[in-house]
Amino acid sequence: MKLIELKEVGKKFGKNTILEDVTLSIEEGDIIGVIGKSGSGKTTLLNLLTGFMRPTSGKILQSFNATQGPVNLHKNLHKIKDMIGFAPQHNSFYPKLTVAENLLHFGQLYGVKRETVVNNIKSLLQATELQAHHNKLAQHLSGGMQKRLDISCSLVHKPKLLVLDEPTDDLDPILQREIMSFLKEVNKQGVTLVIASHNLPLLEKVCNKIFIVHDARVRDCGLIAEIRKPFLKEHFTINLNVSDKRDKIMSYLKTLPFTKIVDKGHHIVIYPQNPAQTINSLLKVIEEEDLYDMDIRRPSLGDIFEQITEQVTLEQK
Amino acid sequence: MKSLWLLTKKNLKLLIRSKSSALVIFFAPLLIILVLGLSYNTSSKYGLNIGIYSDSFTEDVTSFMMLLQEQEFKIVKYDTSLEECVSDIKQGFVHTCISVPSSLNVEDNQQKEITFYIDPSKINLVWMIQDTLGNKFDLKSQELSKEIAGNILSKLSYAKTRTAESSAQLNSVKEQTTAASNSAEAVKGTIESIDLKVPLIVYDNSVVETVKSGIVSKVKQSKNDLANARAGIEGATLEEGKDSILSSLDEAQDSLDDVSSLLEGNSSGFGEISVLVESLQHDLIQAQSKLASASEALSSSTSSLESTATQIRESVTAMATVQTSLDEMKSALEAQKVTEADIVAAPLVTKVERVGQESSYLNYSFPGLLVLVIMFSSLLLGTTLVMMEKNSPAFFRNYFLPLRKGTFVIATYLTNTVITLIQLAVILGVSLFFLKSGLPLIMPIAFTLLVSSAVFTFLGMAIGYAFKSEETGTLASISLGSFLLFVSGLILPLESISANLRRVTTFNPFVITEKVVRELFIFKAPFSSVWADIALLAGYALALFAGILVINYLMHRHFLEGFSKHYHKDHIHQQKAQRNNV
Repeated sequence: MKLIELKEVGKKFGKNTILEDVTLSIEEGDIIGVIGKSGSGKTTLLNLLTGFMRPTSGKILQSFNATQGPVNLHKNLHKIKDMIGFAPQHNSFYPKLTVAENLLHFGQLYGVKRETVVNNIKSLLQATELQAHHNKLAQHLSGGMQKRLDISCSLVHKPKLLVLDEPTDDLDPILQREIMSFLKEVNKQGVTLVIASHNLPLLEKVCNKIFIVHDARVRDCGLIAEIRKPFLKEHFTINLNVSDKRDKIMSYLKTLPFTKIVDKGHHIVIYPQNPAQTINSLLKVIEEEDLYDMDIRRPSLGDIFEQITEQVTLEQK
Repeated sequence: MKSLWLLTKKNLKLLIRSKSSALVIFFAPLLIILVLGLSYNTSSKYGLNIGIYSDSFTEDVTSFMMLLQEQEFKIVKYDTSLEECVSDIKQGFVHTCISVPSSLNVEDNQQKEITFYIDPSKINLVWMIQDTLGNKFDLKSQELSKEIAGNILSKLSYAKTRTAESSAQLNSVKEQTTAASNSAEAVKGTIESIDLKVPLIVYDNSVVETVKSGIVSKVKQSKNDLANARAGIEGATLEEGKDSILSSLDEAQDSLDDVSSLLEGNSSGFGEISVLVESLQHDLIQAQSKLASASEALSSSTSSLESTATQIRESVTAMATVQTSLDEMKSALEAQKVTEADIVAAPLVTKVERVGQESSYLNYSFPGLLVLVIMFSSLLLGTTLVMMEKNSPAFFRNYFLPLRKGTFVIATYLTNTVITLIQLAVILGVSLFFLKSGLPLIMPIAFTLLVSSAVFTFLGMAIGYAFKSEETGTLASISLGSFLLFVSGLILPLESISANLRRVTTFNPFVITEKVVRELFIFKAPFSSVWADIALLAGYALALFAGILVINYLMHRHFLEGFSKHYHKDHIHQQKAQRNNV
């Protein structure tokens, strides 16, 4: 079921076009990653989704209430505010309130009964591993804890849709993974997630859908697998750690059909024209030359994003 | 030096690029100077409403009122009762009441007393009234003093003229009297010169007696002789008796001859008589001569005395004139009732009566201080609370809460109200320690201050919404508070600012609150008499609340967008920095 649907939505600030002609939808249960360069319009897209910003053109429809069908998001925003949670780039809680106080404050303001909020808080504290810190002032928490608290504040009223803007920003890799795994857990509980982030590997792991925002447009959107498909063949790579056998291997590789070979000294990246044939040929060399330090990779989200943005640049030129 | 300059330049740039800071730093002082300049760019025209009470609005009172109106004072006439005027002071409709006697003419050496009724709680106004009106009274007093002195001088001048006239007349009298005196002296001399001395001669009367007796005896004898002769004639014949008769006749002839001799002085007796008579004649001639001289002298003296009498009559007439002049002068001088120098110098005296109960200065200044505290604390609290919320990281999340915007505004107000209530409890509680008489008034005062604090809180909140940083917001709040204080009459009397701005300042919530608290606290006014002002304050609060809601509605998205943009920009900068580091 589509929770939110954007139809030819555009957003301008004065003469600056931030987004144009955006058509996409958010299905219930999705974990959607929004990727794009800084200033590409990711945050604006999130703001449009949450109703914080009104579009300059186009329509944004919401179907949170299944019985009503799609209705204008902004006109009915007051009815669905308790169904949306938003965790912006920065932490959005009161630093001088304790963890529990923050959660209780926001939970109650969402109109949830105190008992329910208390229960929600308990489960959130458990999930975010903040039980031991519930009486600490928020400002005294570590960065990762603060981010978890911020997300908890967005979840305390149990929204249907949780929108997160850079949830792993400024966090160390372990914390980033922790946050992402926590979000996955959240999603399992039925919360639809929209996550804008620069951390593409993590998004790739967590999300099932991707919106690629570039140059004021959503260049691609859909399931990651679907988006990846056109790039699979072209961006299939074989990585070999050749160490001192570089020259020998390079001379052999040149006999094989390839699109591109990137020579990084001890490390060679091969973009084969015919992956199956190249792998078969290489297996023999690998065995002979003892080159087991290798891997075969499908195109990453980063590759896809890079490819798409390059294409756009080329098209514009 | 270079680094100092660079740092200074950087600071200036940052200040200028922050619009609100630039506004506050560069334009606020100009604005304040402009407003204050307009406020106090006035000469000596004070906007005092002066109540004049008099039993009768005579010409004197009217002229006095005209004198006050020259200063553009607004005069309100009270002819029914002084209490009405005094009550209007308490209400603030008039600044002072002046009880003026119906006549300012000073009589019977009694100064005229003009009584000021002033509100002692408006200390600076009291001084201004005393100073300004005191000058006017001095003028009037001088005018009256001048009038009295003029009267005295005119009377003195009249006396002087009359004295000069009298003096001339007295000179004439003097001359005439001198002349009369001289005449009298002359008469005296003349009279003294009359010689009426009779020589002290002892006349020998015996001669005359002798002659007399001789004559008498001779005459007797002659008589006898004649009688004999007659008898002889009658009894005898002529012959027979002729001899005897002839003898008798002879004898009588002899006696008569003797008498004749005696009478002719041929005899020695008559010689003596003759001498005596001659002596008498001589004396008589002498006496005649003396009498003639005396007569002349008397004639001369009479003439002199007549002249003297004339002169004396004239003198008497002149003296009567002088007497009349003196009487007139006396009357004129007696008509001058004011004779005491003190009263001539100051015919009017002013008396200052305080309206309300006699209290300490703390009592009088208490309402102003109370409102001052409430104003600044509410303004700053309002601003701080809004700023705290606006600058709080959680501000952004509030947008996503299913709450009306007004809810946040009301919550901020309620927070302030709670704090204000605590402040009021503390302030009023402590003040009761010093001002025990104020206990029954605590509730209405607290209510008034609460309504007032709502106005100031909303003002502070409006500032909070209008400014970006807490520092500039606080500065703006303090500036606004200072401005409201400055045009409240607490520092400088409002009555001394220009008329147009004075009209505006009457709508100053500080002024209204202070007025209400003063009336309640100092004059013990009933709550019913101040409800209109409280309603006005409540109206302000509601209007400001509505205004804040509108601002909030219009600006909330702007604030949030700015807020998110701010954080987003930070993020971009961080990214850029990270990329640069890599």
